[in-house]
Amino acid sequence: MTALPPRPLPLAHGVGAQHDLPLSPFYAYAGAFTALLVSFLGLGLLWSSSRFRGDRAGRPLPAPVQRLADAPATRTALRLLGAALALLFLAHLLLGPDDPDRNPAPGALYVLLWVGLVPASLLLGPVWRLLNPLRALLSLRPPARPRPVPAAVGIRPAAAGLLLFAWLELVAPDNTSRPVLLAALAVHLAVQLLGAARHGAAWFAHADPFEVYSSLLARLSPLGRRADGRLILRSPFNGLDATPETPGLVAAVCVLLGTTAYDGLSDNPRWITTLQTSSLGPTPTATLGLLAAVALAAGCYGLCAGTLRLLNRALATPLTSFAHSLLPIALGYLVAHYFSLLAVEGPRTVMMAAGTDNAPSPAPPLGPAGLAVLQVAAIVTGHVLGVVAAHDRSVRLFPPARAVAGQLPLFALMIAYTLGGIGLLIA
Amino acid sequence: MTRPSLRPVPRPPSPAGPRALFGAAPPGARGPAPRPARGSAPGPVPRRARRRRTAPLAAAALAAVLLLAAGCGGRATTHHKPGTGHEQATGNGGTLLAARDESGHRLRELPAADAPSVRAEARPDTEGGWNVHLTVERFRFTPESTGGGALAGRGHARLLVDGREAARAYGPWFHVPSGARTLTVRLYADDHTVWATAGAPVQTTLTLTPSAQSPSARTPSAGASSAPTPSPPPAPTPTGRTLDIRVTGSTVTPAPSRVELRKGERITLRVTADRADTVHVHGYDREAALAPGTPATLTLTADRTGLFEVETHESGLVLTQLVVR
Repeated sequence: MTALPPRPLPLAHGVGAQHDLPLSPFYAYAGAFTALLVSFLGLGLLWSSSRFRGDRAGRPLPAPVQRLADAPATRTALRLLGAALALLFLAHLLLGPDDPDRNPAPGALYVLLWVGLVPASLLLGPVWRLLNPLRALLSLRPPARPRPVPAAVGIRPAAAGLLLFAWLELVAPDNTSRPVLLAALAVHLAVQLLGAARHGAAWFAHADPFEVYSSLLARLSPLGRRADGRLILRSPFNGLDATPETPGLVAAVCVLLGTTAYDGLSDNPRWITTLQTSSLGPTPTATLGLLAAVALAAGCYGLCAGTLRLLNRALATPLTSFAHSLLPIALGYLVAHYFSLLAVEGPRTVMMAAGTDNAPSPAPPLGPAGLAVLQVAAIVTGHVLGVVAAHDRSVRLFPPARAVAGQLPLFALMIAYTLGGIGLLIA
Repeated sequence: MTRPSLRPVPRPPSPAGPRALFGAAPPGARGPAPRPARGSAPGPVPRRARRRRTAPLAAAALAAVLLLAAGCGGRATTHHKPGTGHEQATGNGGTLLAARDESGHRLRELPAADAPSVRAEARPDTEGGWNVHLTVERFRFTPESTGGGALAGRGHARLLVDGREAARAYGPWFHVPSGARTLTVRLYADDHTVWATAGAPVQTTLTLTPSAQSPSARTPSAGASSAPTPSPPPAPTPTGRTLDIRVTGSTVTPAPSRVELRKGERITLRVTADRADTVHVHGYDREAALAPGTPATLTLTADRTGLFEVETHESGLVLTQLVVR
């Protein structure tokens, strides 16, 4: 017999007492069927020469809008807003009650920041870059001679940070308690500020998980910047096509996919039984499960990239060339898993921050059927966007004769991800 | 040691009910209609704007008329509420009949047009029993004058649970403990005579079915009726389904699984643990203390949809998941 774990298992998401209902088979089959149909239609019907022009496309916004967006006053105001929100968060975390039901700090981190960045970045672009309080902190004492971040680093530190954050959210015991949150914050601050002292503010674009997360999601925003710096309205496909192929992109996308998938898995009674009866103890087992989910997502993608390389020897970087097409799929996963959390716990967190004691959870905005439709629609839409993005990239990179064949491994991968995503919603 | 107390989730009994009270404000209650400021537009006023300017004035006038008409319906001399005027003492007290109720109170007959009527509806309470709401017409609860003379349209209600008198109601809401099968609500005058019409008491009878039988959890029955209640079907226990769970060390038997429930259904969890602990149903925030070896029961009505975990606090084990659709 092993000793009992002294600490309770964490709730998934850290906050929130209610989980989404498992999907009924009807919605699951409907979604899976649509995904398959769209994939094969896309294979046969989509264009045969690349259409997306990345960061050269887009309709410029009127000059006054651009001037307003670029004005130093706007930037300073956003910086101050971010700093004020961070101070408010710290004040609640340090001075508020150590109880997630009465302190808005955990909800602010796990719901308002982590989930709220999804709609904010989708609508407005990389907002966290503008609000990031670390940038405000650094601007107080900028390093005199910042060194450039080595090109090989890419966004790998941020991918690692994303994985650590997901571990904190989904696995760490007591992840809404003050000591745990303070420890996590201290680690985050230390890594970010030490890096920034050496490399300047550019470090955040490579290493701050929230900034990279927001920037990646903002690739799908209709609001963006052209290569020449003009603020534009664009098709999300062009934004997606312009995703910089930095080292670590694959890792970051796979972390997003894998951790969100693990979140779905962690509701499954069989996995709960495994956790509770495992001789390793629940936390190590859950950590292994999280790592396995990320490894599975990455392994599938690696397999696919290897097949692509076999099909086309000229493809120099099969891994990064198609990583952007997984972003919409990850976004679909995020929406499907976190929509109701944001809709229910988000307002409650704001009410708590506004001083309401015993803030009630607002009623979910969608009934069970509406939520099921939204979840399946999010996953299938992500799939469709991914298929289209991958198609365009492959007709650009492959010789025309092999373009259709070249897409097959990618489509198989996307269908696997999509069916897996829907399967996790049933589980 | 238990976790810090979890927040209770106050919920209105029905989403439409209380909100309807505050929903639509009368047109006059919104204050004066907005009017554009006089001095702001010195130039010639375009035609469209001029027409718009008259509309709020007309609306304000209409609202004023409506207010006047609604506030003092009928006579404008005094502001007695209906039933509190000085002429009340001469009201129609009905005619006494020879018939009596079970406890010997005589019936007091009124013509059908003047007789009060009563309807009742019950919904299961989350902690057991039922919350009952009475809807009366041509009737007012008058606890302050109980024992006085019989005046038409005034009095109280008596509650008969399974045919036995259990309590009086001096208002529209009350609670009936679990275990009751039928509830009869009968209207009485202040002098404890039974209001009757066509020789039959004014009453209504509810069959309190456990909610598993009727998902809407409401069994309204007809209004003023004296028909003998049909004998209620042998009702299953009001505690709904029972789930037995045993916790030994970190092993949960049966292994955590999902319990599918329909919304409104009731479920009883009977948990036996081998050490002191607290069992907690998330979302419903219901708790029960566990003593070693002694089963603890927790009954709840699944009135919110979603997936909810049943957990122990100390050992942090998920016992089962309630899937409420």
